[in-house]
Amino acid sequence: MTDTRSAASAAPDIPAGRSRKVRGRPLLYTSYAQDMALLDTRAKRVSTLVLVVLAFGLSVLLQDRSLEVLAGAYVLAIGAIGLNIVTGYAGQVSLGHAFFVAIGAYTAAALSGPVDGENLGYGIAELWIWLPAAGLVAAAAGVLVAPLATRLRGLYLAVVTLGLVFLGEHIFKEWQELTGGPGVGREAAVPQLFGVRLDQDGPLGTKEQLLYTLMLALLIVFAVAARNLARSRIGRAFAAIRDRDIAAAVIGVPLTRYKVLAFGISSFYAGCAGGLLYTISGYVEPGSFNLLLSVQFIAMVLIGGVATVSGAIAGALFISLLQPVTRSLPALVPFISGDTTQTPNVFQVETVLYGLLIVLFLIFEPRGLFGLWIRVRNYWKSWPFSY
Amino acid sequence: MKGLLESVIRGLGNGSVYALLALGFVIIYKATRVISFAQPALMLAGGVAVSYLAAVTGFYPAVLLSALLIAGVALVVERVAIRPMVGRPVFVVAIITLGIDVVVRVVVNGFIGRDVRQVGDPWGFTQVSLGPLVVQSRWLAMMLVTAVLVALLFAFFRYTRYGLAMRAAAFDQEIALAQGVSVGAVFALSWGLAGFLAAIAGMFVGTGQGIEQMTWVIALKALPAIIVGGLDSLGGAVVGGLVVGVVESLFQSYQGEFAPWLGQNFAVVSPYVVMLIVLLVRPYGLFGTREVERV
Amino acid sequence: MKSRSATGFIAIVALLSACGVFRGDDQGGEGAAAQAPGVTAEPCPSAVDTKKGCIYLGTVSDLTSGPFAALAVPITDAQKAFWARVNKAGGIGGKYEVDVTRYVKDNKYNPEVHRQVYNEIKDQVLGLAQTLGSPTTAAIIGDLKANNIVAAPASWTSAWEFEDVIIETGSNYCVEAMNSVDYAMDTYKPKSVMAVHLAGDYGADAAAGAKFAAERNGLKFTSVETPTGATEQGRAITEITKNKPDLVILTTGPADAATIVGQTAAAGYKGRFIGTGPTWNPALLQSPAAPALKALYEQSAPGRPWDADTPGHKAMRDALPGVTPNDGYTSGWAWAYPLKAALDQMVAGGDVSRKGLLAAVKTLKTVDYEGMLPPEAGNYADATGASVFRQTLINKVDDKATTGVTTVKDFFVGPTAQAHTFDGPCYTKL
Repeated sequence: MTDTRSAASAAPDIPAGRSRKVRGRPLLYTSYAQDMALLDTRAKRVSTLVLVVLAFGLSVLLQDRSLEVLAGAYVLAIGAIGLNIVTGYAGQVSLGHAFFVAIGAYTAAALSGPVDGENLGYGIAELWIWLPAAGLVAAAAGVLVAPLATRLRGLYLAVVTLGLVFLGEHIFKEWQELTGGPGVGREAAVPQLFGVRLDQDGPLGTKEQLLYTLMLALLIVFAVAARNLARSRIGRAFAAIRDRDIAAAVIGVPLTRYKVLAFGISSFYAGCAGGLLYTISGYVEPGSFNLLLSVQFIAMVLIGGVATVSGAIAGALFISLLQPVTRSLPALVPFISGDTTQTPNVFQVETVLYGLLIVLFLIFEPRGLFGLWIRVRNYWKSWPFSY
Repeated sequence: MKGLLESVIRGLGNGSVYALLALGFVIIYKATRVISFAQPALMLAGGVAVSYLAAVTGFYPAVLLSALLIAGVALVVERVAIRPMVGRPVFVVAIITLGIDVVVRVVVNGFIGRDVRQVGDPWGFTQVSLGPLVVQSRWLAMMLVTAVLVALLFAFFRYTRYGLAMRAAAFDQEIALAQGVSVGAVFALSWGLAGFLAAIAGMFVGTGQGIEQMTWVIALKALPAIIVGGLDSLGGAVVGGLVVGVVESLFQSYQGEFAPWLGQNFAVVSPYVVMLIVLLVRPYGLFGTREVERV
Repeated sequence: MKSRSATGFIAIVALLSACGVFRGDDQGGEGAAAQAPGVTAEPCPSAVDTKKGCIYLGTVSDLTSGPFAALAVPITDAQKAFWARVNKAGGIGGKYEVDVTRYVKDNKYNPEVHRQVYNEIKDQVLGLAQTLGSPTTAAIIGDLKANNIVAAPASWTSAWEFEDVIIETGSNYCVEAMNSVDYAMDTYKPKSVMAVHLAGDYGADAAAGAKFAAERNGLKFTSVETPTGATEQGRAITEITKNKPDLVILTTGPADAATIVGQTAAAGYKGRFIGTGPTWNPALLQSPAAPALKALYEQSAPGRPWDADTPGHKAMRDALPGVTPNDGYTSGWAWAYPLKAALDQMVAGGDVSRKGLLAAVKTLKTVDYEGMLPPEAGNYADATGASVFRQTLINKVDDKATTGVTTVKDFFVGPTAQAHTFDGPCYTKL
């Protein structure tokens, strides 16, 4: 991401030298650079380090099937961070995320697919080639769509981007050479890094361990990049547009350019997420890229917390883990029948719970998981005088 | 020419069902500024309720009872899940309605079971001749009922106290509150109306072929309709619904012949293409209110 | 930043640990380290004879909100009843009983969910009694093959003829459509055929079969792809009434089929319809399309309907008292026979394991379907095109029959299917 570098160059006149912190006063900043730092307090640095180490540690702690679910959640988190850039930071609500995810998924699958297979393929299995390519093709599509989007606001934009999903679904169902067609599908991208197949058990670990580690590493890269973007000039322009686009235009933010940029970057993230997501199951079917997927991304952003990177990650984890959790919950309530002919049965309860938990969560904490965290943090910050 | 006109009438028939659904979306939008994604589930529930009640009370009373029943369900949903969210970001509420949609749909699916449920309508596939044209009587029924409902609805908004209250609340909630309008009641009423209309639409969707678990997808057709018409225009919703119906019907009849390069079944996505074209020209739909921008 | 999600993260990790998902705590099932996965010396949870051991089979199906829920639920129920009957009759080789109730999962017809729930149960089951859908099964086929897990599919696509671990029962849609066209050649002497079909492994598979048969019989062939949804059938209806083919091969859902048949008949169309198994639902007899269906429609099917007079059908009807009859039950029940035969063979052979089961499957040249299907339908000895079962039958609408259809032509193979060489899934050749 070239944008991260511009963060430093955007504020050249700020003295970088006097950034010594005063011990024991974590919230006292003596320079602008300190205020803008990625991890501005010691507590954050330590806890982030612990979390990252813990997350990598999970790959040897958890069972393969749990790792697989988490790996999927991390990829979705990359997509959610992308949506958060356009929806959370720049305020342009997009229900078209599934479309860009699909473009990424098929670019990656086509590039890494076998040359003489049933579907389009170019035989480039190296991850470091197809991943950026998937992102770039999706970003190009995002940039193409953006001029239309800049004319629209709010719910109009949401429904129009929704139209994109339906049009995309049509194209992907029709373009059978690329996608295999509905109900048939094709092999997804092959994750191969410097000759090592990551979707097969190898000397470095099981397939799930390898994929988990890969996804986690990529998530960290994408998350840091997004966070850097948010605190750069571009991020501030996005926030200005979100808060009041006319006011932003008045203070000299070129609206169209930044809206197009927001869509482009967001689609890049979506494309990368799409390329990675289906490497886990190894199979991609055009019916997957529907309204539901877009809505899930929106739900991740809203449940996690709008305009926060950590919120998007937490939201993706919440939504991805909600299904396994709802699957295990009915087992704790013995009077619900496992018999599919009876109503209610466990499967209906499972599906209802999924909907209900989302509803209840948003009713009780509309600011999302991030809001919950702020509450908890403030409680302990002012402890024992918190009320 | 005959085929063309028959296609148009089929489009107007299906379009009037979309119009009923679109009206529900717009009424809720005008009152609460939220697009309710729970409409598909309410529509499905309406059709299923008719299919159960028709055997007991006969078809026409069943339609009325079901519409009232679904209006009741919508009122409960509004009170329990939407009212606490007043003043919250609209997209949070939209996601909540989606959650409600999933919940209601699973419950309704339990009632549908594994069979195709018949609504017991008197029309079936019978056809009538209009001069040289042969059209299905159910399309005429759809158009007629929609026309009557739309007229009633407009009269309601124009001439009754509650209609006035709803218009006031849609215009400016705070001022309406200051004038003694119960905005909460307006929210409830809008959901009730939307539920009522969705149930009628559900009944019509079930005529002829019956109702399956997957029938809910049809309600999504109303989304391009409301955007074509303009999100906050009741008349626009009706026009949008009809436009979507006719365009879809024409694509169904002629795309295979004249534009096969668009791929099989382009008709399914044709409403979205119309929507995009309309928005390129008019960013607030055909009849939507242009947002006044002040710095 | 990540640190801010600490609370949620830790809560989730705590929850995961509560569910027992940490590495190494239960790779082999409960207290059965020496046993193969999914096989225990302890009796089944609802055992008839507590002295027998238990073989667990998993089921991954579309049970609530997916497009095939209406079919998947009766299939799953029928299989529960089937295995309950097997257990009552002495189980497998007098040593084991079979449980298919403990590991039942809902895939919502989504490949990713399918794979997740499959992973949740795969260490606890010996094989899969049911894996519903083609794209969903494709998402786990690699894993099935790698672990030698035998699975019975719930779909009749021609793709499964080429997999060892998948034990399909009955003819695929491709064969069904070929036979339908050949049957129509004998009965109605059509000059032109139109395939009206959904996209993908179901619709395109049948359309391809119809195409092969039309080519062989020198008929004019057209195909119309149609989406699901009753209001979306306008194009299909227009194409039929405009081109007036003598024969239409339908591969859609039941409501779509009723719309197409009802509306084209109302518009004066007089040709014949033959629909694949899933185009029929007994509830269509109450629909306004019923007269048209009775006049113009026949159903091709890979197996005899609910009412048929065979020991297998009778056992099924006795085992499922009080259900609304539906041929989903019939299919589900019939699909279970090969797995039972393979399990019997495996226990008799002594190697009670996944490998043993797969080896047993490969020895099966015939399966006793108790008359529901000819024994040669269960030929798994060579999983190539040669072993493809090619018999289907034709049903007609009959209001007196419980599921609304009775057989007009019993199991037969048309000349097209007889001569056809299967060298890949049909739908790729449309």
